[in-house]
Amino acid sequence: MAHKRRIGVYVCHCGGNISDHVNVKEVAKTLADEAEVEITRTHLFACSDASQQEMIDEIKERNLDGLVIASCSPKLHLFTFRAMAERAGLNPYQYVHVNIREQCSWAHTGDKVGATEKGIHITRAGVAKCALTNSLTPFRLETQPRVMVIGAGVAGLRAAISLADMGLSVFVIERGNEPGGWAAQVGRMGPDDRYGPDIVANLLEQIRKQENIVLFTNAELTAKTGHIGDFNATVRLHGKEDVSLNVGAFIVTTGFTPYEPRDGEYGWGLPGVVTLKDFRQMLEAAGGGRLTHNGIPVRDVGFIYCVGSRQTQSDTCPEPNTHCSRFCCMATTFSASLLHEFEKKSGQTINQYHLYRDVRTYGRLETVYSKARADGALFLRWDPTEPPRVERCDGRLAIKVKDTLLGNEELEIDADLVVLATGMTPRKNDTLKNVLKVTESKDGFYKEIHIKLRPVETAIDGVFIAGTAQGPKNLAESVASSLAAVAKAGGRLKRGFVDLEPLIAKIDTGKCVWCDECLKACPYGAIERVVCGDKEVAMVIESSCKGEGGCVPVCAQNAIDIEGYRNEQILAMIDASQKELVTA
Amino acid sequence: MIKVSSNLAARVKDTEGFNAGACFHCGTCTALCPLGYEMLPRKLFREVMLGLEEKVRARIPQIFSCLLCRMCEKNCPSEVHIADNIRTLRCLINRQEFGLK
Ligand SMILES: Cc1cc2nc3c(=O)[nH]c(=O)nc-3n(C[C@H](O)[C@H](O)[C@H](O)COP(=O)(O)OP(=O)(O)OC[C@H]3O[C@@H](n4cnc5c(N)ncnc54)[C@H](O)[C@@H]3O)c2cc1C
Ligand code: SF4
Ligand code: SF4
Ligand code: SF4
Repeated sequence: MAHKRRIGVYVCHCGGNISDHVNVKEVAKTLADEAEVEITRTHLFACSDASQQEMIDEIKERNLDGLVIASCSPKLHLFTFRAMAERAGLNPYQYVHVNIREQCSWAHTGDKVGATEKGIHITRAGVAKCALTNSLTPFRLETQPRVMVIGAGVAGLRAAISLADMGLSVFVIERGNEPGGWAAQVGRMGPDDRYGPDIVANLLEQIRKQENIVLFTNAELTAKTGHIGDFNATVRLHGKEDVSLNVGAFIVTTGFTPYEPRDGEYGWGLPGVVTLKDFRQMLEAAGGGRLTHNGIPVRDVGFIYCVGSRQTQSDTCPEPNTHCSRFCCMATTFSASLLHEFEKKSGQTINQYHLYRDVRTYGRLETVYSKARADGALFLRWDPTEPPRVERCDGRLAIKVKDTLLGNEELEIDADLVVLATGMTPRKNDTLKNVLKVTESKDGFYKEIHIKLRPVETAIDGVFIAGTAQGPKNLAESVASSLAAVAKAGGRLKRGFVDLEPLIAKIDTGKCVWCDECLKACPYGAIERVVCGDKEVAMVIESSCKGEGGCVPVCAQNAIDIEGYRNEQILAMIDASQKELVTA
Repeated sequence: MIKVSSNLAARVKDTEGFNAGACFHCGTCTALCPLGYEMLPRKLFREVMLGLEEKVRARIPQIFSCLLCRMCEKNCPSEVHIADNIRTLRCLINRQEFGLK
């Protein structure tokens, strides 16, 4: 072994989050006996400024060359403490994070003896790993000042304009024939009554004026290589011709698909049962004339809310959409006022019945709901255990519903049209999913890193998500989210460089015999064959390797190690964690 | 099962001042009514709007015993003109049921 290390071990109370169930003093005391440990201490909140300063002073004073902090999840504070190590003059990769909160205190609440013992075992493992750390430096790579926006709905178009305003070049790729997404198809939009196609036309006009935006239609991303700051993207145009584009980041704004009801669900399939989108198109087509269905003037319209949203699991619905789709209450109550306006203009009497579960017109959208009621729309509330039934009856439709506001009185409403407010579901996008490797949340929409704090970043560095591709949103919310993605992507690229983690694969060319097993195992295409002297060996493309480790176990020559997770480190950790506990 | 009909509602709709559509069923009026009628006024208005004529007819005694004290109306968060609505209904009922002009 090389020279003896001087490691500092700090054990955190996390207020009481850890110390209520783990004896932190005991952990610190036991660890002090480890050969390479120079000092141990406990801190009430290791992450606080004061504690960090104390640790920094101590690292310098005692000339420590390794640091272990037993605290919370590395997801929370690994980077905090790496940065602290750096400020203390220590290489950040000589810091090892041990999680005794989630893994000890929270997992073994109430078992203080057991949680404390486990805390000691895993902190020892951390020290063993720390003793074998090297000083590492991140790779600094230049970034390309170009972004690819995937999907030209309002979210994508708005993102493109703002990126261009920041001085970045933008490629917008739209799979369909026309840009604009749903907003181009739904006509007048609430809450402020703007015409969707006008909104889209206005954005397209701005895009035409920007020299650094190129919009492709009938275009799909089919391949991607590289890393944040420098990706090579292959885009297929009209299903045949491929173009290759070099970009620094992707913003995915591929939107949603409206829910498609099951046969018979709320009468779906019967003549006169339509979706909100169909209804709005009928109303727009009627103009100032008559609203008819199958040639018969429409007199009674029933609207059913929450179709395909907020579902619970049942035999008929094995994979429920449990989310609320956010836009449909507003869009449907807004439609009530549009219908009322039509009624006044055309003189055709129309009664409207709105069958809802809860009206979720939050924030200023409330005014849309109030207006609908003032405009004479009648609201009936049903219980999800007894949803309304729609049947065909004497050439018309009959809706049977128990109105909870009348004490569950069962009512029958005759209607000419039944409009289903279908919710948002994730868009099917298998090609894109395979290329980008962005994960999905339980609800099937693209998954962000942190729903509250990092809502537009994904686990794939350099790939951002926005608009309804990330989850249900109305138009204003989709735009807000797309501008957030612009800020994040632009912020990364405008710096001109990115620092990539040095925790990647290293190949011992002396041992390598080029069997190509590692090449086959790597999901990132980060292994290349090179000629080295008189033999062929594997080489790691440093900018592509994510340190994922698939190559390590398949190498029969044991020629591969992942920096930061080297075999000798893992073995040392296992040994250290098995060491018997001598308790007082 | 009761059939919803728009006839009664249409007649009420034409009457100036009947504004029960704004009601969002908080129940304040029901709680405050000194007569303690479970139905007055939110359920009644609903029955009118939905055109449940039979139900409304059965409520005639209650409709006429309302004190017009406006306890409900003063406290209604949706500014429903409850007492005026009751008077409108009385008017309609007088005409229709009792043949008064
Ligand atoms: C009937 C109805 C009424 C509505 N009314 C209102 C309203 O009144 N007010 C309101 O605020 N909101 C309303 N909305 C919601 C509003 O339409 C959405 O919030 C908004 O359009 C979402 O925009 P987006 O850009 O996220 O997605 P989308 O509009 O879905 O755009 C996504 C785009 O990406 C493209 N795409 C998909 N996959 C790919 C791929 N793999 N490669 C390239 N391109 C791809 C699609 O073709 C599409 O053009 C309504 C929606 C509907 C359906
Ligand atoms: S917005 Fe309204 S209609 Fe849409 S899912 Fe949510 S509660 Fe249901
Ligand atoms: S006005 Fe009539 S309904 Fe309202 S509180 Fe008084 S008595 Fe009751
Ligand atoms: S107080 Fe007003 S809003 Fe509340 S239930 Fe009565 S009439 Fe409706």
